[in-house]
Amino acid sequence: MLVVALGEENTEKVNAETVTGDQILSFDNLIFGVPTWFDGELPNYWDEFVPELEDMTLKGKRIAVFGNGDQKNYPENFADGIGIMADLLENRGARIVGFTSAKGYDFESSKALRGDEFAGLALDFENQPRQNKERIGKWAEQLKKEFV
Amino acid sequence: MKNTGVRQKYHIRTTEKETLASFYRLLIRGRSWDDRAPNYLKQAIGWSYHAPAAGHEGIQLAIGQTFNKETDHLFPYYRDLVTCVSAGLTSEEIVYNGISKDPDVAGGGRHMSNHFAKPEWNIHNVSSSTGNHALHAAGVARAMKKYKHKGVVICSQGESSVSEGYVYEAINGASNEKLPVIFVIQDNGYGISVPKKDQTANRKVANNFTGFKNLRIIHCNGKDVFDSMNAMTEAKEWVLENSCPVIVQANCVRIHSHSNSDRHELYRDDYELNYVTEYDPVAKYRRLLLRYSRFTEEELVKIEEEIKAEVKAAHKKGLAAPDPNPDSIYDFVIAEPYQSEKYPEGIHDNDGPRKKMIEAINETMKAEFRINPDTYIWGQDIAYKEKGGIFNVTKGMQKEFGIERVFNAPIAEDYILGTANGMSRFDPKIRIVAEGAEFADYFWPAMEQFVETSHEYWRSKGQFSPNITIRLASGGYIGGGLYHSQTIEGSLTTFPGVRVVYPSFADDAAGLLRTALRSEGITVFLEPKALYNAPIAATPVPDDFEVPFGKARIRKEGKDLSIFTYGNTTHMCIEAVEQYEKEKEYSIEIIDLRSLLPLDKDAIIDSVRKTGKVLIVHEDKVFSGFGAEIAATIADEAFEFLDGPLRRVGATFTPVGFNRILEKAILPNTGKILEAIKQLIEY
Repeated sequence: MLVVALGEENTEKVNAETVTGDQILSFDNLIFGVPTWFDGELPNYWDEFVPELEDMTLKGKRIAVFGNGDQKNYPENFADGIGIMADLLENRGARIVGFTSAKGYDFESSKALRGDEFAGLALDFENQPRQNKERIGKWAEQLKKEFV
Repeated sequence: MKNTGVRQKYHIRTTEKETLASFYRLLIRGRSWDDRAPNYLKQAIGWSYHAPAAGHEGIQLAIGQTFNKETDHLFPYYRDLVTCVSAGLTSEEIVYNGISKDPDVAGGGRHMSNHFAKPEWNIHNVSSSTGNHALHAAGVARAMKKYKHKGVVICSQGESSVSEGYVYEAINGASNEKLPVIFVIQDNGYGISVPKKDQTANRKVANNFTGFKNLRIIHCNGKDVFDSMNAMTEAKEWVLENSCPVIVQANCVRIHSHSNSDRHELYRDDYELNYVTEYDPVAKYRRLLLRYSRFTEEELVKIEEEIKAEVKAAHKKGLAAPDPNPDSIYDFVIAEPYQSEKYPEGIHDNDGPRKKMIEAINETMKAEFRINPDTYIWGQDIAYKEKGGIFNVTKGMQKEFGIERVFNAPIAEDYILGTANGMSRFDPKIRIVAEGAEFADYFWPAMEQFVETSHEYWRSKGQFSPNITIRLASGGYIGGGLYHSQTIEGSLTTFPGVRVVYPSFADDAAGLLRTALRSEGITVFLEPKALYNAPIAATPVPDDFEVPFGKARIRKEGKDLSIFTYGNTTHMCIEAVEQYEKEKEYSIEIIDLRSLLPLDKDAIIDSVRKTGKVLIVHEDKVFSGFGAEIAATIADEAFEFLDGPLRRVGATFTPVGFNRILEKAILPNTGKILEAIKQLIEY
């Protein structure tokens, strides 16, 4: 859905489970899909990539992060994965783009929050699936402007 | 994954290769036994209880690595196989415990399988009553602090066990007393089949304690070796620096069922069963070692083959190891008591000034505290300014011995007893007096720890003796009603592993208390509070008087009827007999049992042999009271000497009413005893 909204000709899909640092460095604009697992953790494929990421220089990269969370069953850690990844990327010099408003969500806390915005796009396939299309569409338009 | 505020000492890139290899060996050793355990049950060899560790290995490895047997104490729980392997238990030690063999270092196959321990190294043998060792952890940490010992206590448990009130008591106490404990909560999301949403509102139960002072909470990924190592390392350093407790909550997955009696496929769907397997900590660690080129596939396979051979050899040793000897069941029920050389029968001929029971107890405690600097007393309301307990039994003790040895406890009876148990673990020379509750009536919340503590010596095969005297102000006759009149020896004497004494006179109170304070093991010291200041219970008390356990005292010799009694009713029996003998030409023997457990059966049977008639009198209810055991013993071992029915006088099978008219109707008294004497003599 996101690729379609951005335009397939403008995007290249990379499998996060096998991605390498070199692949990431070959792009200037990137979008990371980072779902939140358990009580606020990265999925293994990202977690195991983190040591490599920690050695990378991402200066000049514009990176957007999106991910699925569950407001109802995991309200204390809603979409934490977005925030954890955004922090890691920022620490390596990347500029995080694609911030979105936290209005319209109902949760207790989230590492993705920066003020009253998420450091990316939070999706909730469990509880707000009908809003996905609109949220993704708007975010894609936003990214088109924020990416160089 | 990084943990906020936690220093990152361990990292896949920088940790030395030998350390990484050591971790992998431990993980594979642990996983090998975890995988093999069910086979022993299938082949009917043993390991009939197995709570798999699979999915918890990150945090369990870290617990074991953080533990230093020279300085620390570790309380693992029944899922902590890898914790114990990581702490240093060998494959042989694991299998001996798993299949309950005599060489099992936890306790020679006495305790349930999968309860790994090594008391010699301060890896404690804990109960199956989940999380109740949290109280012991707080207790041993208190001792560490008092003795200025530099070390930490690590208390490991599942997240569901935190629902237990005693875990709250332990964390509250550790926070209040600033104790060096790391409470590790291994969170796999389930208590058997119960999801954690049914336990408490916070998904992360550690966050229930965010309002506690002097407490740090660290969350980590218990499925990740590095995050867990960093969290535990940070926790230990922080505890040592701050002398305050930490909670480490580790998110884990439970790859298998709770145990081999659980079927998780009945409540977990295929999706969940699949993803928990994908999040296997051992597999993740292996992938990281390869991905970051710290090891080659060949190197890892070599380690796996080495462990495979080691486990195979240990398995053979396990099968060949001796089973426990059934003749050993009476060994280590309770530690040997202090033996009195001067007063072997617990009798004296001192004719000095008479002292009240309350003075005798107070002075004996003070005398023993002066002799032994490793004595402690605590309880509710026992020491604040000039007050020394509700009855002033501990008056002046804090002033003389200081707040480090004589101190108040919170209104948490289980904590009082559980921390006494824990404190005993620090050094066998320590002797603790726990005023178990404000009144015996309030001891019931501590029954959980009472049962637990009664098991320790036997369960560990004599490796740990809780050396505690539990004092309880007991009984009625004060117009106290239902909750200030209970006498609970009928319940307490059903537990092997404890002694229960119940004096009637000041000298016996002093002598029994002195013996208790010098003995190893648990002694329940029941104090008939109605007699604290009663002139009839006052006696001369030699300064060094000792009464051995299991020695009854003949209060009055006789030949026509034996009365067996103790506590408050001893005095009623004496009065009733005096009245009866004034009128009739009979002589009645009164045996003051003093000690119920152990029971002086010889004294009882000797008296029955002499008189042929028996009256058993106690304050507790007749139905199922301790007298039932005495009666059964006589019926069993002295039936041929009986010349009449076994009669009992005691309380009615009701609570004790508050109104004095009700109390009189319910409790035994001189008149009721006199009537029974008449009936029996005339039988």
